[in-house]
Amino acid sequence: MKQTEQNNEEILSLANNLRWDLGQGFHDQLMESIFANATTIAQRSVTTSKEKPLFSFDRALDRIVTSPVFGFPVMFIILAMVFWITVQGANIPSEFLASILINDIHPALKSFAGSIGTPLWLSGLLIDGAYLSMAWVVSVMLPPMAIFFPLFTLLEDFGYLPRVAFNMDNLYRRAGAHGKQALTMAMGFGCNAAGVVATRVIDSPRERLIAIITNNFSLCNGRWPTQILIATIFIGGVVPAELAGIVSAAAVVGIAVLGIVFSLVVSFGLSKTMLKGEASTFSLELPPYRPPRILRTLYTSLIDRTIIVLWRAVVFAVPAGMVIWLVANVTFGEESIAQVFINWVDPAALIIGLNGVIILAYIIAIPANEIVIPTVLMLTVLVAGLTGVGSGSGVMFDAGSASATGTILAAGGWTLLTGINLMLFSLLHNPCSTTIYTIYKETKSVKWTLVSTFLPIVMGIVVCFFVTQIWRLFAGA
Amino acid sequence: MNTNKLELNNCASCPVHNVGNLKKLGINMSDYDYVVALAGNPNTGKSTVFNNLTGLKQHTGNWPGKTVTRAEGGFEFNDSKFKIVDLPGTYSLLSASTDEEVARDFILFGQPDVTVIVADATRLERNLNLVLQVLEITDRAVLCLNLMDEARRNKIEVDVRTLSKDLGIPVIPTEARQNIGMQELLNSINEVASGKYICKPYRMKGKSKELNSAVEKLSQKIKLEYPNIPNSNWVALRLLEGDQSIIDAVRTGELGNIKEVKRAITEDELQSEDAV
Amino acid sequence: MVDPLIALLTGTGLILILLIIFIPQKGLISRLRRNKRNEKRVLIEDALKHLYSCEYNGVSCSIDSIAGKLSIASDDAAKLLANLEQHDLVKSHDEDIVLTPDGRSYALRIIRVHRLWEQYLADETSVGEKDWHFSAEEIEHKLSPAQADALAAQIGNPVFDPHGDPIPTSKGDILSKRGITLNSLMPDAYAHIIHIEDEPNAIYSQLVAEGLHVGMHVRMIEATKERIRFLANGEEVVLAPLFAKNINVTTVKGEPKIEGKFKTLSSLSIGEKGKVIGISTKCRGQQRRRLMDLGVVPGTEIEVEMKSVGGDPIAYRIRGATVALRKKQAERIFLEN
Repeated sequence: MKQTEQNNEEILSLANNLRWDLGQGFHDQLMESIFANATTIAQRSVTTSKEKPLFSFDRALDRIVTSPVFGFPVMFIILAMVFWITVQGANIPSEFLASILINDIHPALKSFAGSIGTPLWLSGLLIDGAYLSMAWVVSVMLPPMAIFFPLFTLLEDFGYLPRVAFNMDNLYRRAGAHGKQALTMAMGFGCNAAGVVATRVIDSPRERLIAIITNNFSLCNGRWPTQILIATIFIGGVVPAELAGIVSAAAVVGIAVLGIVFSLVVSFGLSKTMLKGEASTFSLELPPYRPPRILRTLYTSLIDRTIIVLWRAVVFAVPAGMVIWLVANVTFGEESIAQVFINWVDPAALIIGLNGVIILAYIIAIPANEIVIPTVLMLTVLVAGLTGVGSGSGVMFDAGSASATGTILAAGGWTLLTGINLMLFSLLHNPCSTTIYTIYKETKSVKWTLVSTFLPIVMGIVVCFFVTQIWRLFAGA
Repeated sequence: MNTNKLELNNCASCPVHNVGNLKKLGINMSDYDYVVALAGNPNTGKSTVFNNLTGLKQHTGNWPGKTVTRAEGGFEFNDSKFKIVDLPGTYSLLSASTDEEVARDFILFGQPDVTVIVADATRLERNLNLVLQVLEITDRAVLCLNLMDEARRNKIEVDVRTLSKDLGIPVIPTEARQNIGMQELLNSINEVASGKYICKPYRMKGKSKELNSAVEKLSQKIKLEYPNIPNSNWVALRLLEGDQSIIDAVRTGELGNIKEVKRAITEDELQSEDAV
Repeated sequence: MVDPLIALLTGTGLILILLIIFIPQKGLISRLRRNKRNEKRVLIEDALKHLYSCEYNGVSCSIDSIAGKLSIASDDAAKLLANLEQHDLVKSHDEDIVLTPDGRSYALRIIRVHRLWEQYLADETSVGEKDWHFSAEEIEHKLSPAQADALAAQIGNPVFDPHGDPIPTSKGDILSKRGITLNSLMPDAYAHIIHIEDEPNAIYSQLVAEGLHVGMHVRMIEATKERIRFLANGEEVVLAPLFAKNINVTTVKGEPKIEGKFKTLSSLSIGEKGKVIGISTKCRGQQRRRLMDLGVVPGTEIEVEMKSVGGDPIAYRIRGATVALRKKQAERIFLEN
């Protein structure tokens, strides 16, 4: 036994001595010799037709998509179409799901619970809290994701996305990032958690971390409805009615573009400071175009991306729903927890142009951005003591129309400034808990998870603060 | 223990995989007869092949390097049950990345009964890099030459028989996306696993003089201590690269568990043939 | 409501203060951390390292050289030396100060960590060449031998650091000094740089600025007492002998490839082809391995396929696959003329 051990050590020390003799070029020599062997073998069995085909589909297509003239326009048209189809296509099923899950099943569940004598607190907690938040997340999240991800996957299967990365790398390189980040960002417009998972295609450690940390700056589909609603109410409200539609749409697009700008600026900052030392490599293979298999893609992208992301969101939304119901219903002396908290943070929140309701809504809606607006409405009604609207304390609701929502918010003391700040804060705040969890799973690092969580929220506070104070300085309000 | 070893050596159709190590690698082999490893460059359709063989539906995009976690599945063929493990797609097995370590350790320590290497017929030369590296480690491999349709489209012809003769392993042309060639692939996997097809894998030639002599020296020493291992040259190479998992395997004597099974049989058979 | 002007000023001030405290490298926190360095143990370890380097290079050490090296007063150096002797780490005979076996193995442990860390930075991170040494000077006093072994295992148990210095094994074995100094290379002889001394920093940065690095081939033109003239990077480099002394080379027979004499991949235009002759040694670590995995090795033919919209990166046909490389990478791939 002893002898064996000694022999083993001898093997290792011989190896070490040989390594010193071989010097540093060892790996290079080895690779060279492997490829030399590969060439010899390949030459014996592979024959490539010498004459180039007159017309090659791949080449022709590549010439267009990488052309200095058509390259970017083609890309913008394709991406815009994907988003347009998603937004348009998701509307109807979203409303359908909401009407079934929220307008039909929810009251049915309530009356059923009442008929079998469930205590009020229990039916409130489970049905008004857990069920309703889940229903909300499903109806807002599922349709756009079920459309967006398959479309994106089709482009991926076809081989177009690597070309986008190829074209965008010039810009991203300057920001210290990888061209493929353009794609993970685009994916983030669908869902940040899916965007974070998609960063796996970036094989360079530093660039991958950058892509993960900045993915939150892509306005995900849970935040689009908030943006659109608030822009319609507050920004559309200050311009003449005939311009309202265009101006509020421009405001939303402006926020999304601002998000892209932030992601590039933050990428640049990170690559120059915190991530300066992380290893960085670049290589991007451009695969040949392949006809996408549509049915298969639909099936797998539904299973792989949509269902998994939705499942995670639901898992996080259920407890959040309970918390929402509890903070509105558990009282602390005369007032509910929600009211106590809101009164307490209100002064600080006003400095950054928001209010206590928004802060509380963002804290308890960490699991899903989709429920921010319903929570805000419920809390506003609760705090402002409005009667005749809403469905009771702790029950999230949808006011039905933008103007009805606007009336409630105005009663809660909201101004144009609050609206603008909410739009900014909705862009710049911590990722939802699904995304945070995904970031942790992908990076396996508490440090980077914390950075990705707190960096955007600190930025949000700073940006809202300056916007508010400068606004007050000039507008005097 | 000894009788067990003898049995293994005398049974041409017995599986060769290393159950103890496979367990350590997290593979449960209790209901399977053979284990098949699936290796290949990224973006060669490896996962499509995997899905075709197992009937699983794992999504993979037209992207290099999509399968990050190791997938497993199973299939039955000719009354034998096969466990198939999809290794991460890698360009090489020599670098320090985690993916490559996973693939390398699985093939070396798990000793799969068959390693299927999926290669892109349109970029055979680059894919051969990985093929040759795998053949340095294991004696039992099948080359699945995928994307033959694309090769045809690009007017690339591959002489499968010459390639198979040169590499010393079965080469099966496939079009995994159209499910073409899968039966032949299954057949070959079965033949290699059951010992009906005996591979004579190509071993690399023409390394530089210094490299050769260093490998030779070290490999001699390793063979002295571990006469049974089938790939002492490769182990020597890995030691010269400073691979920690191999260093540990030498230090703990774990290397002794990797035994050559197939070769012994071939030689036995040859001898018996001679006798006749 | 607070006056917005006051709020703005307070807010800006607060952000500035936080930046001053927390900003990496220049912030108060990182400064505080660095100032903790001058502890006794650090001095002891640095002194041992210095003594070892004298021994390795075959020169003698004195109290003054220790004092100079550690930037402390001669009196303090003498006290330090007495302390070392007390602990049986050094022995002094008359003027000669030598390491005891214990002292030597202690020094080698520190050097092992130092060189491992440099190799780690060079191979696994993007930290710039000039920062390796400083970072290693700090880390060498912090890692335990077990941590050093783990680090070594993680980076493939390297046997050389990026300057070409051998890394001591965990048992304390080390390769003896190799090669000759550049000064003693004969005119017209070809040689291969195997080591560039990274201390003192002034000289090292000058050598780095000249583009010299380990693994590079050079050809001597003339070596006089005033100047050393040689060919590297395809052009003439002139160094003072004091500088050239810090470069170790081994002579090479025949006529090796000298970098820079060749065109780079980045110089080709669309449709042109070239045969790879090598990758610059400046491209190292993961990036180098990745390029070779993709088939960029000597003998590979590469064709320029297409440019991206912005002109960088460019897609190349490498062994049947289309691979996009950035300009900076293409500049480091050398082609046959």
